[in-house]
Amino acid sequence: MSNLGQLETFTAGAEIAVDVAQIERQLHVLWQLASESAKDPTQRAITRASLLNLVAYCETDAARNHATETISTLTTRHPCRAIVLLAKPYESRDELSASISALCHLAGGGRKQVCCEQISICASGEGTGRLGSAVLPLLESDLPTVIWWQGNFLARPGLFLRLATVADKLVYDMSAWEAPEVFLGAVQRLAVDQQRCSLADLSWTRLEFWRKLTAECFDNPRCRAVLDRIRSVEIAHGNGPGARLRALLYGGWLAAQLRWTPQEALAKIRLNSRDDAYATAVGLLSVELKTADATICIRKNYGDRTASVQVTMPQVCDLPRKRAFWPTDDAALLSEELDHAAPDLVRQWALAMAAALLPLLRET
Amino acid sequence: MHETQLPQNPLHEGLIRQRTPGPCVLVIFGATGDLTHRKLFPALYNLAHEGQLPSSFAIVGFARRPKTNEEFRTELRQGVEQFSRFSPINPAQSGVNPAVWDALAQGIYYHRSEFADDKGYGSLGELLEQIDRTHGTAGSRLFYLATAPTDFARIIQQLGALGLVHRVRNQTASQRIIVEKPFGRSLDTARELNRVLAGVFDERQIFRIDHYLGKETVQNILAMRFANEIFEPLWSQKSIDHVQITVAESIGVEGRGAYYDNSGALRDMVQNHMMQLVSLVAMEPPISLEAEDIRDEKVKVLRSIRPIAPEQVQQFTLRGQYDRGSIAGKQVVSYHEEPNVALDSRTETFVALKLFLDNWRWAGVPFYLRHGKRLPKQAAEIAIQFKAPPAVLFAAEQAAPLQPNVLVLRIQPDEGIAIRMNAKVPGAAMNIQPVKMDFRYGGSFGARSPDAYERLLHDAIAGDSTLFTRRDEVECSWSIMDAILEGWKDESPPAVYESGTWGPVEADQFIEKDGRQWRRP
Repeated sequence: MSNLGQLETFTAGAEIAVDVAQIERQLHVLWQLASESAKDPTQRAITRASLLNLVAYCETDAARNHATETISTLTTRHPCRAIVLLAKPYESRDELSASISALCHLAGGGRKQVCCEQISICASGEGTGRLGSAVLPLLESDLPTVIWWQGNFLARPGLFLRLATVADKLVYDMSAWEAPEVFLGAVQRLAVDQQRCSLADLSWTRLEFWRKLTAECFDNPRCRAVLDRIRSVEIAHGNGPGARLRALLYGGWLAAQLRWTPQEALAKIRLNSRDDAYATAVGLLSVELKTADATICIRKNYGDRTASVQVTMPQVCDLPRKRAFWPTDDAALLSEELDHAAPDLVRQWALAMAAALLPLLRET
Repeated sequence: MHETQLPQNPLHEGLIRQRTPGPCVLVIFGATGDLTHRKLFPALYNLAHEGQLPSSFAIVGFARRPKTNEEFRTELRQGVEQFSRFSPINPAQSGVNPAVWDALAQGIYYHRSEFADDKGYGSLGELLEQIDRTHGTAGSRLFYLATAPTDFARIIQQLGALGLVHRVRNQTASQRIIVEKPFGRSLDTARELNRVLAGVFDERQIFRIDHYLGKETVQNILAMRFANEIFEPLWSQKSIDHVQITVAESIGVEGRGAYYDNSGALRDMVQNHMMQLVSLVAMEPPISLEAEDIRDEKVKVLRSIRPIAPEQVQQFTLRGQYDRGSIAGKQVVSYHEEPNVALDSRTETFVALKLFLDNWRWAGVPFYLRHGKRLPKQAAEIAIQFKAPPAVLFAAEQAAPLQPNVLVLRIQPDEGIAIRMNAKVPGAAMNIQPVKMDFRYGGSFGARSPDAYERLLHDAIAGDSTLFTRRDEVECSWSIMDAILEGWKDESPPAVYESGTWGPVEADQFIEKDGRQWRRP
């Protein structure tokens, strides 16, 4: 393929196979070509930008495709050097291959293409053991490194620990794990142990909408006064992936923020599951908080993507207030996590409390 | 584990979208006007779309025309469809998310009244109390004056007289007011408006809007200056030769002839927006990012500006007025031919100023300000021109002297930062040429930035006055402008310039006499 042909393929987002050892060199050549392709240097058609290294770890082709699509959306707000790793340790072939592509979008009135680069490395068999050494030299200097691990990182301790030493943040989604509750304690300990790398669970990030709506119920000083008189909390959730875990995390969060002891929390919180074909990705259906004379109910509405809040208590007669759910796809959640680098202490407290509330799951 | 004492609302702790403000009713006076439809409601919808409005939130449109709630909501939705940044690229599609709109629309009300009618304010009070009961807004109010400036004082006084405002002291509910520009047309009128406001509101309840401060790139001036160690040591008279601030518009008065002819470029653009830019570029580091700390530093800059006495206006200022010409290949009329402009008008549509800041950091560094209508293109930028490097080293090999470094903060369009530096051209000879390093927001962050009104409305609802101007800022700025306006009274008419050029030829002479040149933005 000619240089220009290769450039067109590259900037169109198609993958170009490269030798693992030649990735940087090949990227340099292609960006150089892109830079020289415009006749007027002040109107160069392509701009490169990078705010971070994003390493996405996948174990299936479907997860890899999902990562590529998500990163493509994400780069409009968080331009990055994206490195997508596909590990297939159970395949017999011992292989390590790589490809590069550009993620471009139009900016500046549709005239300019703003591009990031995606490096894909596929390893199978014993080649997966060499993934770490392939990734480390590809990380751009002076930029933070975020690892987005699709799957259970505790199941791949070797690679995980190698990458974690250079990572500033690890993003994962426990709702995609098999029996995630089993790992709550281990993840919580890891979060405490990891000094350099902060942990972010997208399953928790998805709860933000419900947490916020709950918090806003108590902005009115009259409502806030009942916070320390809550007698019961009923959390209804669907049966979709991670819904039960998130209901538990929500309960853990509420209990931790209200300084309940685990015993108090176990006595006050109840989880109920029911089938709901229209459940959102979050999976919560309703939350009801009760005191002796007040009820605060947050309920997902049927028929549209909204939730309503109803506060029933003396001297407060609010209409049910509606709020539209905000997006909870992986690109939106990752974007939120990338915007916030600091360790999330509230999540750690919630996680610790959720681990203590595991007996609740036996009742559902 | 964390401490045992409960903070005010512990459930807000750690939320990523922490900045959602508390409960509030927004009352917009002049709710049927262009500003409401083109800017305010699209901004409110965008905030709702991003989950940045409180769930206990309602909006009351106050205006003279008869209209039902439903008619008002329908009109607003049309404005949102047209002007929201979430509008689709394909106009055939509706860009309004029904769930977001429905949630917002359930709290939108219309209240018809004359601005001078006592009864109208009485019934507004009843409506607000009803909204407090049904929407949980807890008595918090944000009044927005989006009317003609002539109505400002009357509305403020009515709000006070009919008990719709409580002073901030001893109140849990917040009550604030946003005042649109123009804030007065002279020092006296600005002071009078401030006096009327102070009769009803405390200063911390008053939010004087200058939409330039809501622009991402204007806010970024602070970030660039104080979050990067490399610039600050150079940011003074030791390294900087001069500063040029240009706000160029290619449009004319665009149907605002009556207003503009009574106002002019100095009042319309320089007194507010450009003086804010001067303040942000020249201010000392504030001790914190709290509103008062930032505004204290900005005021110090304004106070340090050397006054231009009326007899000095010829030396330090220049006025122009556009004639016929062409912009982007299209013929345009002269200022005098614009509708509602007096045939003998001497109102300036172009202004150039040379200001000196008499303080330690900026002693002897001229700030050249230039603004005009019907210039070749729309551009707003701040150019920091550094002193030329010593010529001794490369003089023998260079045909021309080395170009000084320039740091350009582009505010619009194509927001970003560019640095001109000198570099060796590849080859055997030591040939040094200027090269431009260009950082463009659009090139690094593809997502569309929030509109200025989004940020400003959000901050006002949240009670953060950092991006609003304080009483002393406004008055300080007017005192500088008043002296210039006084000097212009006896001056010859403004210099005429052809539309589509960079202003009158006198503008070039104005800066060239100092041995400098205007930049071409």
